[in-house]
Amino acid sequence: MQDGMFTAALIGQPNVGKSSLFSRLTGVGVISSNYAGTTVEIDEAVIVRKGDKVRIYDLPGTYSMSGNSDDENVVLKMVKNSDIDTVIVVADATNLQSSLVLCMEVIELGLPIILAINKVDEAYKKFNTDFKALENILGVSVIPVSARTSEGVDALADAVCDGLGKVSSFKVRYNDHLEAAISELTPLLGTTRFNSRGTAVKLLEGTKSFADDVDAHAVAITLELRNIYEITNDESSDVAIARDRYSFSDATVRKIQFKDNSAMTRKDKLSEILITPSTGMPILIGVMFGIFLAIIYVGSFLDQIVDGAYEFLVGNTLIDFGLNHGGELGETIMKGINGSILALFTLVIPYILVFYIILGVLEDSGYLPRAVVLLDRTMHRFGLHGGAFIPMMVGLGCNVPAIMATRSIQSRREKIIITALIVICVPCSAQLAIIFGIVGQYSGILYSFAILVVVLALMFVLGLTLNRFLKKEPSNLAMEIPDLELPTIKNILFKTWDRIKDFFFIAFPLIVVGSILLEIALKYNLLGFIIDPLSFLTVVMLGLPASLIIAFIAGVLRKEMALAMLIVIALSVGISDLTLFMTPDQFFIFGLVMAIYMPCLATVAVMWREIGWKETIVVSALSVGTAIAIGSIANLFLTIF
Amino acid sequence: MISGSREDYLIEILRMTKGEGKVKTNDLANKLKISPASVSEMIKILSDEGFVKYAKYRGAELTASGLEYATKLRRKHDLMERFLTDVLDMEPDAAHEEAHKMEHAISDESAYRMCRIIGAPANDDCKSCVEYGISKEGCNINTKLSDMKQGQTGKISHLKCDVPATIKKLISLGFVPGREVYIYSNISKSGPKVINVGNATFALDSETASSVFVEIGDD
Repeated sequence: MQDGMFTAALIGQPNVGKSSLFSRLTGVGVISSNYAGTTVEIDEAVIVRKGDKVRIYDLPGTYSMSGNSDDENVVLKMVKNSDIDTVIVVADATNLQSSLVLCMEVIELGLPIILAINKVDEAYKKFNTDFKALENILGVSVIPVSARTSEGVDALADAVCDGLGKVSSFKVRYNDHLEAAISELTPLLGTTRFNSRGTAVKLLEGTKSFADDVDAHAVAITLELRNIYEITNDESSDVAIARDRYSFSDATVRKIQFKDNSAMTRKDKLSEILITPSTGMPILIGVMFGIFLAIIYVGSFLDQIVDGAYEFLVGNTLIDFGLNHGGELGETIMKGINGSILALFTLVIPYILVFYIILGVLEDSGYLPRAVVLLDRTMHRFGLHGGAFIPMMVGLGCNVPAIMATRSIQSRREKIIITALIVICVPCSAQLAIIFGIVGQYSGILYSFAILVVVLALMFVLGLTLNRFLKKEPSNLAMEIPDLELPTIKNILFKTWDRIKDFFFIAFPLIVVGSILLEIALKYNLLGFIIDPLSFLTVVMLGLPASLIIAFIAGVLRKEMALAMLIVIALSVGISDLTLFMTPDQFFIFGLVMAIYMPCLATVAVMWREIGWKETIVVSALSVGTAIAIGSIANLFLTIF
Repeated sequence: MISGSREDYLIEILRMTKGEGKVKTNDLANKLKISPASVSEMIKILSDEGFVKYAKYRGAELTASGLEYATKLRRKHDLMERFLTDVLDMEPDAAHEEAHKMEHAISDESAYRMCRIIGAPANDDCKSCVEYGISKEGCNINTKLSDMKQGQTGKISHLKCDVPATIKKLISLGFVPGREVYIYSNISKSGPKVINVGNATFALDSETASSVFVEIGDD
C-alpha cells in the first residue's frame, strides 16, 4: 500500500511491451518503441475500477532481478523499498523461455505476482499455448493479453484490482550442491522484503545489491560457498543457477507450447536483407540520406504551407495592434513577437515534425537494432559498440532522452564518450531546423550539408581522441534483435506529439517573453555591456554582427530561442528581410557554431545527473571552445577565398 | 549438507583451510557435528588413501588427488541426479538419495556416456570428460561461439571469461549452458554475430561471443 492506495508494478524483460500495456491499462500515454531499453524511468498512473483506486507503475525492462546496470537497479530498488502489493510480470508469448526465467526469479523472492503474457496475437500465428497448464505449474494467475489488440487487458485490470496477485509456493529445484548451499545460507538471513530462499539464491549468484542488505557473516559464508562450489564443480554458482532455471523454463515451454508453423516468413527474409552487410549497408546509408532529404524537402514544403496560412490568417494583425495601442514601441515589440512566432512555427516545427515521424517509424519497425549490428565494427574504433547508434539517433531529436538512454549501458567510460559525442556532434532537432531551415534557405542546401560533414568529421576526431585518452574498459555489444513489426499510425502520432509538445507549451511562451524583453532592451540600448566586450568574439573571430551574441546566449536556454532572437535583432535594426541582415557566409557560420556549441540548460541538467558535474563542465566547455574554434576557422577560410 | 560421507570431509577441509594451512580435528568435528573420535578415524582412512596429509597436533590438509577425487564425485552426483530426474523421470528427493549411492560406483566412461544421453555437451573443464572423452575419442569437443559458421547449431557447454560482468550479461540474455544456439547471421570474422537462443535473437560482438563455448550439433 502506498498512501493507502493499492499499488501494482509492471516488471518484465526489455521489449516485451510493458509500456504499450501500461498505456492500454491506464490510458496514460508513455513512449514505447520496438527495441530494448526504451523506458529508463518510472512512469506512474492511477486507474479507477469498480470504485477502487489502484496505482500502477511502469518500470524499465530488466533481464533479471540482479541490477546489472543503472536501469536494472531502478527496478530492484523499486520492488525492494516501496510497498508494491502486486508485481505484474509481463512476459512475451513469442519468447516465453526467457520471460519465464524472470518470472521464476520474482516468485522465488516471495513477491505476490500476476503473470501477464503479452503479444498473444503474434503468438497465435506461430504457436498453440496452454496457458491453463502454465498456471498450474507456476501456481499464479496467468492472463494472456495483447497490448496491440487490447485482448485480455480488461481481464488483467480486473485481476489486479481484485487482488489476484499471490505469493506462489513454486520452487525451482537446483542441483543438490546448490540446494545444500542454499539451506546453509537461509538460516543466516533475517526477514526482509524478500524471502530468505530467494535472497540466498541471489547471494549465491553473487548479486552485489543483495549482499549490501545482509550482515557481514552471511556475506563471508556466501563467499566461501561460492568459492567451494566453483572449485569443486568446475562451474561458477551463478552459471549453475542460471542453467537450472533455463533448463526448467525450456522444459516447461516444451510442455505447454507447440509450434504451428516454422516456415520462413516474409518478415524473416526482410530482416535478413537488412542485416546482411552487402545489402544492409547501402540501405542504411539510404535511410540516413532519406532522413535528411525528407527534413529538407518535406520540411520546407510544410514551412511554406504554414507560412502561407499564417500570412492569410494573421498577416499584419499583431503588428497593427501594436502600432495602434503602443505607438512606435508597441509596433517594434509586436514585430519582434510576430517574427519569432513565425520563426518557431515555420522554421522550427515543420522540420522537427518530419524528423520525429521518421524516427517513430524507425523505432517501431525494429529497424534500429539491425542498424546497430551493421555499425558495430565502426563504433568499436571509438571505444563504443553499435548500441551507441540508438542514443545518437534519439539525439537527433533531443539530447535529453538520448543521454538518459545511456543508462542501459554498463560501462561508465562508454556513457561519457556517447554523451560527449551526442552533446557536441549530434545536432538536435532544433539545431537541425537551424541547419536546414535557416542555413538551407539563406545560404543554400549545400551549406547545410557542409555543416553535417563538419560535425561528422568532428565526431570521428572527438571519438578517436576520447577513446585514446579515457582509461580502457571492455565495451561489448550484446543486444536483442526484436522481430520486425509494422508501425501503427496511432503510436507514431502519439509519440510525435509527446515529443514536440514542449515546443508549444515551453518554447512558445519563452519566445514571446524573450522577444519582448529583448526588444525593450535593444530599444533602450541596455545590452551594450554584453555586446561590446564580446564583440571581438562575434565580429573579429566569427565575422558576425556584434548583437548576435544575444542570440547565442539565448540559445543556451533552448536552441530555437537563438533563431527567434536572431529575427528580433534583425528587426530591431529595421531589417525584416533576413537576406539583407547577413550574407550567406554569415548564415553558414551562425548555423555551424549553433550546431556545435553549448548544450541547452535541460541537457546540462540531465548530463549532471547521469555522468557527474566534472564531466558536465568539461563537455560543456569543450563544446563552446570547439564551436568558436571551428567557426573562426570557417570565417578565416571564407574571408580568404 | 549432504549426509556425512568422504567427499564431505574433503570439501569441508578444503573450505576450512581455504586452500592453505591445516585444520584441527576438533574444529572439523564441530563443523560437521560429528564426534572427534569418528572424525579422527575417517581422517586416518583418507590419509591412508592419500587424499589428505595429516600430522598429529597440527591438523589435516587436502592433497591434489583429494581435491580431484572430491570434485569428480560431485560432478558424478550432479550427473546422476540429472539423469534420474530428466531421463528416468524420478522424483527429485528419491533421485537425490539414489544419486548419492551411485556416484561412487559409476566409472568415468559410463559417466561420459550418460552425459551424451542427457545431451550435456562434453566439457574440457570436466575431469571425467577430459579423462575419458577427450583422450579416448581424441576429438575437439567444443568450439567458441565466435568461431561458428552461419547456419550452424549447437548446445552451449560452458561460459569462460575473466570479466564477471560479461558472464552476468550473457547469463541474463539466456546464453546458459545446456541451451541450443543457432547462428542466424555471421557478418564477418571479427564482426558481430546474430544468434538465436530459445525463441530470442541477439547480436553479440565476437569478443563477447568468444566467452561462450558450444558443442556443435550434427547438421
